[in-house]
Amino acid sequence: MTKDKIDTRRSFLRGGALLAAPIAAAAVPVTALADDELKTRVKRLEDEAAIRELHRSWLRQVNAGERGALLQEAVRAINADHAGAPDKIEFGADGRTARGHFDCAVELDIPLATECTLAQMAHAQGHGSIRRTERRVLRVDYENAGGIWKIAGVALRTL
Amino acid sequence: MVGTPYPKKPMHRIAYAQLTKEQIAAKLHPVAERGPTSASTFATDFAGESLRIVTDDGPELTYKFASSTRLSVAENGGKATHAGFGALETDNICLFSHMIPGTQRGYTVVVDRRSKLATVIEVWFSGYEDNREVQRQIYFGHVDSGGDVPKKRHDYTDRLEGRGYHWRQDTGMETLEYYPSAGYSHFVELSRTGGELGFSAPSDYVLLDNDFCLYTRTECEFSGTFTAYVIDMNRTQQMGVRLGFDDGDDLHYYLFRGHGDIVGQIAHFEKFGDDSGNPIPGPNGKDGKPVKGGRRVYRPIKTMEKLSREQVAQIVKQHSTAFPPSTTTGGAAGMGSVNALPASDFLAGKAFTLRYDHGPAMEYKVDSADELNWRTDGEGAWTKARYQAYEVAPGLLLFGHLLEGAPNHDGHIIAADFHQGLVTCYNGFLNTSYFANEAGARTLFGVLEMDGIQPPMYRRHARTTEMLGRCITYSYAPGLTSMHLYSTPNTVSWIIFTPDGHGGMEWSGPGDFVKIRDGIYFMNWREEACNGTLGTVLLNLNIMHDAGIGYHCGARGGLNMSRIGAVVRHAGKFEVDRYFQIRT
Repeated sequence: MTKDKIDTRRSFLRGGALLAAPIAAAAVPVTALADDELKTRVKRLEDEAAIRELHRSWLRQVNAGERGALLQEAVRAINADHAGAPDKIEFGADGRTARGHFDCAVELDIPLATECTLAQMAHAQGHGSIRRTERRVLRVDYENAGGIWKIAGVALRTL
Repeated sequence: MVGTPYPKKPMHRIAYAQLTKEQIAAKLHPVAERGPTSASTFATDFAGESLRIVTDDGPELTYKFASSTRLSVAENGGKATHAGFGALETDNICLFSHMIPGTQRGYTVVVDRRSKLATVIEVWFSGYEDNREVQRQIYFGHVDSGGDVPKKRHDYTDRLEGRGYHWRQDTGMETLEYYPSAGYSHFVELSRTGGELGFSAPSDYVLLDNDFCLYTRTECEFSGTFTAYVIDMNRTQQMGVRLGFDDGDDLHYYLFRGHGDIVGQIAHFEKFGDDSGNPIPGPNGKDGKPVKGGRRVYRPIKTMEKLSREQVAQIVKQHSTAFPPSTTTGGAAGMGSVNALPASDFLAGKAFTLRYDHGPAMEYKVDSADELNWRTDGEGAWTKARYQAYEVAPGLLLFGHLLEGAPNHDGHIIAADFHQGLVTCYNGFLNTSYFANEAGARTLFGVLEMDGIQPPMYRRHARTTEMLGRCITYSYAPGLTSMHLYSTPNTVSWIIFTPDGHGGMEWSGPGDFVKIRDGIYFMNWREEACNGTLGTVLLNLNIMHDAGIGYHCGARGGLNMSRIGAVVRHAGKFEVDRYFQIRT
């Protein structure tokens, strides 16, 4: 039984399934991998895992209402669009910048301008905004400073 | 000589006196001692009874009834106070009302003797910046008779939403009352004011059981009078209380009975199964709890921008805009135009005259889809103006433009039928009697003269009551829908919705209704003492869409003419025509 487990883990690594293994890949000691190409790949996977964790953490903040200055005020929540394209993270040539593309469903809460009587009444009854969900592409720029990935910019684009 | 039924001023024009607390106390004291009056006989079986009512988040009230008009009440186990009261009963439901002498407070209590459930309405004066406006707080609870505490409670409901009644009280007061919202209502005083205009007020709707509902309204922005009554929905009867100062500052406090007729039931738009009420709950205080008596009230008379003639003249000179360019190309100038019909170039290149009966002959030479030239009565120089037109039905155009240089800053909004040679114009103007930036409107009927069109000699568009009682929803943009209720032949009331589809706030103004073609109506409403806008719609019920033009003057936007438009639904019709017939 023990042998089977070890074999399974090795075949998993050899088969390139690391792409699907997020942060666990960081536990693999890089020094054990002699091949430069493999080192690069592992580094990339570590970076990608770090970016994904950063993205998840940021989404939690957004959905908890801690939007900060990175998003327009109208955004109330961002959820994965499971019917959309797979998430994509592209790295810059120097490996210190990256850009993520995430199809998502964005909950918007757009204040009604008080330009007309109806909008004024809506504000008066506490419903002065229109809430709706739209499919968007979230484009996030990342940069690595001192080995730590940070968000450099966020943009929401219509599909 | 028999007088007419009409008041000198409608409610929204009356400058109700700002009563001081002392003035209110002086008038209230003898009334509180005496109790309410009633044209109907008070219930007599209270005499000698005791009653203890426990409310969930409110007072415990211990009553002892000495007679059918005298009681003592102890609040929260405190010292008992003696007061006059009156009670009315229907089946298992009884309603009694009293003030507390020496205070400006009182209670109206509704008790279901069968279920032992109670609803307590605490009312008081001097709780708002306008002291005369009656404040209210509703508590739900039960009668404590020593047994088990019932688990159920009366509760707010939307089950009356969409209902309309004609009521005739034992006082002789006759009203039409519409409940198109779960948080507001609309009332037309047929006997006291001739039913010319209807008015809107914040309201509560409480379900007592499947047979009885409790309704309240407070005439905020007007006299501040409070009305509450129980509706026996099977027999179409009411019993209730009215408390407040009238426009002569006389205090009214009486119980009444009434009987009525259901005049209709329109649709309402919550999800099926959602019978909840109180859709626009009041604000919370700093402690996060609801403010006692707090309610969200639309106060347009208070908040309206009020400008002088001089200010209006200056604003118009500095900033007059008709149809910003983005709207001509189909863009959205505002939320009101997202669902609007596209602008039409039907008029481009045409020259014609609109000859109004008892009005001007307006000559037009139209250069393009958004620019025309006009002059009046065949004289003077042509004036260039920006316009926009919408083809609401084949050959039927709605278009509008400002009349630059007109002393009252006029705008013409026109329904022109090129298949019939007929035209109706809502001539908007400023410098009206109360506030210079409040739009007035004249309705002009006439004919369209153009090469190839032979207009009729005698036939004209005509005012109609075909829209009377109808309710039409207008969806201007996602999330921005209102409903019009045409409550009298001269009133347009509008209701906005909450996000979950409850009818919410409501207001109203005078309006006009002209039939243009079968199923097509040209209507206006004036937001008098409420933003001052003149709104117009040419409504085509054949395609369930309208085109509209708003005419407005304000310090921020200047004099403005803009496009509005919506996809519409027919929510239903109240059958009220018979209440507006003039009989000998």
